[in-house]
Amino acid sequence: MIAYVIRRVFQSFVVLLVVGLVAFSMFRFVGDPIDNMLGQERTQADVERLRTTLGLDQPFPVQYAKFLANAAQGNFGVSYRQGRPVATIISERAPATLELALVSGTLALVVGIGLGVFTAIRRNGVASNVIMTTSLIGVSLPTFLIGILLIYVFSVSLGWLPSFGRGETTQIGGWSTGFLTASGLKALILPSITLGLYQMTLIMRLVRSEMLEVLRQDYIRFARARGLRERSVNFRHALKNTMVPVITVVGLQLGAIIAFAIITETVFQWPGVGLLFINAIQFVDIPVMAAYLMLISVMFVGINLIVDLLYFAIDPRLRIDGRHA
Amino acid sequence: MLRLTTVSALAMAIAMPAAAAEFRWAGTTDPQTMDPHAVNSAPVLGFLNNVYEGLVRRGKDMAIEPALATSWEPIGDGEGWRFTLREGVTFHDGSAFTAEDVIFSYQRASSEEADTSSWFAPVSDVKMVDDFTVDVLTNAPNPIFPDSIANWMIMDSGWAAANGAERPAKDAENHATLNTNGTAAFKLVERQPGLKTVLEPFDGWWGTPEHNVTRAEFTPIQNPATAVAALLSGDVDMINPVPIQDAGRMAAAGNAKVIQGIEARVIMLGFPHQADELKYTSDAGKPNPFKDVRVRQAVAHAVNVPAILQTIMRGNAEPASQLVSPAMRGYSESLSRRPDFDPDKARALLAEAGYGDGFSFGLKCPNDRYLNDEAVCQAVTGMLAQVGITAELDAMPVQNYWPELREDNYDMYLLGWSPGTFDAEHPIRFLATTPNEEKKLGSWNFGDFSNERVDTLLPLMQSEIDDAKRQAYIDEATKILQDEVAYVPLYVQPLVWGTGANIELTQRPDNFFILRWVTVN
Repeated sequence: MIAYVIRRVFQSFVVLLVVGLVAFSMFRFVGDPIDNMLGQERTQADVERLRTTLGLDQPFPVQYAKFLANAAQGNFGVSYRQGRPVATIISERAPATLELALVSGTLALVVGIGLGVFTAIRRNGVASNVIMTTSLIGVSLPTFLIGILLIYVFSVSLGWLPSFGRGETTQIGGWSTGFLTASGLKALILPSITLGLYQMTLIMRLVRSEMLEVLRQDYIRFARARGLRERSVNFRHALKNTMVPVITVVGLQLGAIIAFAIITETVFQWPGVGLLFINAIQFVDIPVMAAYLMLISVMFVGINLIVDLLYFAIDPRLRIDGRHA
Repeated sequence: MLRLTTVSALAMAIAMPAAAAEFRWAGTTDPQTMDPHAVNSAPVLGFLNNVYEGLVRRGKDMAIEPALATSWEPIGDGEGWRFTLREGVTFHDGSAFTAEDVIFSYQRASSEEADTSSWFAPVSDVKMVDDFTVDVLTNAPNPIFPDSIANWMIMDSGWAAANGAERPAKDAENHATLNTNGTAAFKLVERQPGLKTVLEPFDGWWGTPEHNVTRAEFTPIQNPATAVAALLSGDVDMINPVPIQDAGRMAAAGNAKVIQGIEARVIMLGFPHQADELKYTSDAGKPNPFKDVRVRQAVAHAVNVPAILQTIMRGNAEPASQLVSPAMRGYSESLSRRPDFDPDKARALLAEAGYGDGFSFGLKCPNDRYLNDEAVCQAVTGMLAQVGITAELDAMPVQNYWPELREDNYDMYLLGWSPGTFDAEHPIRFLATTPNEEKKLGSWNFGDFSNERVDTLLPLMQSEIDDAKRQAYIDEATKILQDEVAYVPLYVQPLVWGTGANIELTQRPDNFFILRWVTVN
């Protein structure tokens, strides 16, 4: 067990280092930050001086090593664009992304499971067929199109909801929350639908097919034969047994929601880390890009590690293999 | 920093009628910093013009007018300028404005850490004569110095010292990055970088307010479609810019209007004047045809500028004949005719130069720097093909573009230039003078255009006090640049802003948004 865990942690660590190395080797293709940092009246001497100050004249492995050495001490450098510490900027922006991810994740989970169960039970009903057909839209339409569509319907035409931003936020310690104001809650609606729609349809389809599978099992027939109530059969017996694969997928999708909120955040001008990253790319703000990419890979590697360890705990076959390996 | 709580936000919403004088506006770029000397870029200087003031400022027509200085006059025989300062001016924190703040702001803005130091290259010293008189001494007579410092903003010396912000910070944060203490009509009450920046009128301002704004909030919105939607749904009162293709639809919507003008930026094609060989396409390695002035003339005649403006700019831009637009000081009226669109003449010129069978070359172009830049390059490519020369277009994001130009990786390129001083001397200094690192000349002259007479004319026009003589020098240089086809000026880029139907404002050609000219009806 311990050997397995140590091996997995070590592998995760190597993955992180490689991600960082690839990221740093790519940065010079993103462009040159110097031109963005200096005005049009700069001289070549100014350019060279700033390049040396920032260490951009050095080869990328050296830049990467410096980044790692500083990051190990918790110092992610100073943003080229804002001239402020990257750690501060990211911690200012993280609440926006996490709140959006939480709301859209919950939405996807609740609505997805509900509709999945419904369409499985009423397999041939008209409503089920309508839902199944509509869900294709969620899978096939690109996020930005859904976002723009929602904005035009609910903000421009109907004027019900704000077209961009987070509304008024309340500061609680280091955390800015939009949950406590009316405008903050209203502002959450459109972006969380946009962000969660894909996951919602994914979960719904997954629950439906798992549920159909389970409903054919003998123990369900047996439960019905025992005269148990329909609700009890569907939810206590059938749904419970569909949840194992669903939870695995949901766990991984939560990571995806946080990491790929970029497009939703851009469309809604949602001030989270995804928008920060897009700005960083446009400005070639290397410290912000590096910190963001490392953060996201830490998150994914972490989720994968936890899932692996959970499998190990759940699945006895893995344990036996592990002992022999 | 003041943070709005829910309660006060609701209170404001209730207290104000529909025609509230609260104003919200959006732009693509968040100002990088609130420090007026740290970054010399239009988004920063434009925004901070509402918070800080200079000795002089630009009016609605771009003319220089008194601000913190009430008058100025040349000293002796062009040794410099004497500024008489306005008395009774206070900074936002209540401290008094004196000559000491001017001296301090000169030292700060011209320091090595500042990005604005090039403005003070002609200055040898700034001296305090008394509390309200300052002498700026220049190395040589400098007639346009007052014109060149409209964006040099005065910061309170006491405030800066008390907060450890005596020098601008480029790769670190200091107090002035997020806080301000200026003298202008609006003061900064909240700054959340990338999120929102809130201004409120300064009660102690020396001037008479023309606006009725009680609170102004700026939000950066990068996505143009989101910005248009925000304006149409009334979430913001003004956006800059409006995508050209959306302007017509927006004007028709009824609750918004489009404000159009001509920006100071001239878009042009540039050539390699010194390179011996072509670098791209199958003709790479062959002699560089653009060294021949007839080929450059042929390009000028081959590009149908009116057609570009009609289709790509939807009639919003004006053709350009020289490196500055007609609104700039020093524009050469007598040279306002640009080469006619004449493909036959272009073909004849090419044949005469020995390229009757045409050639192919690489055209470099940014795709996110100027309005519809890539589309313009595609149109140019098509028009050049009509006269037999084949351009291979390579369009890229601007942060990749400048390094390519610096390393001479092009056979032809697209460039836009907006003169910071609003004077014709500016592009000649940066684009047309032989590059000279030491004298800080020709730093954007990527193609190394070099003409001895232009190099001689530059210092003459820089130091000539007599307007007529100075114009003669500029005209002569402009004529040379036109005859030599150093660049092919195409058009002056349009400015397209969108506002709510109830907003009155003034659009200035430098694309600066001046809040004190806003009226909310």
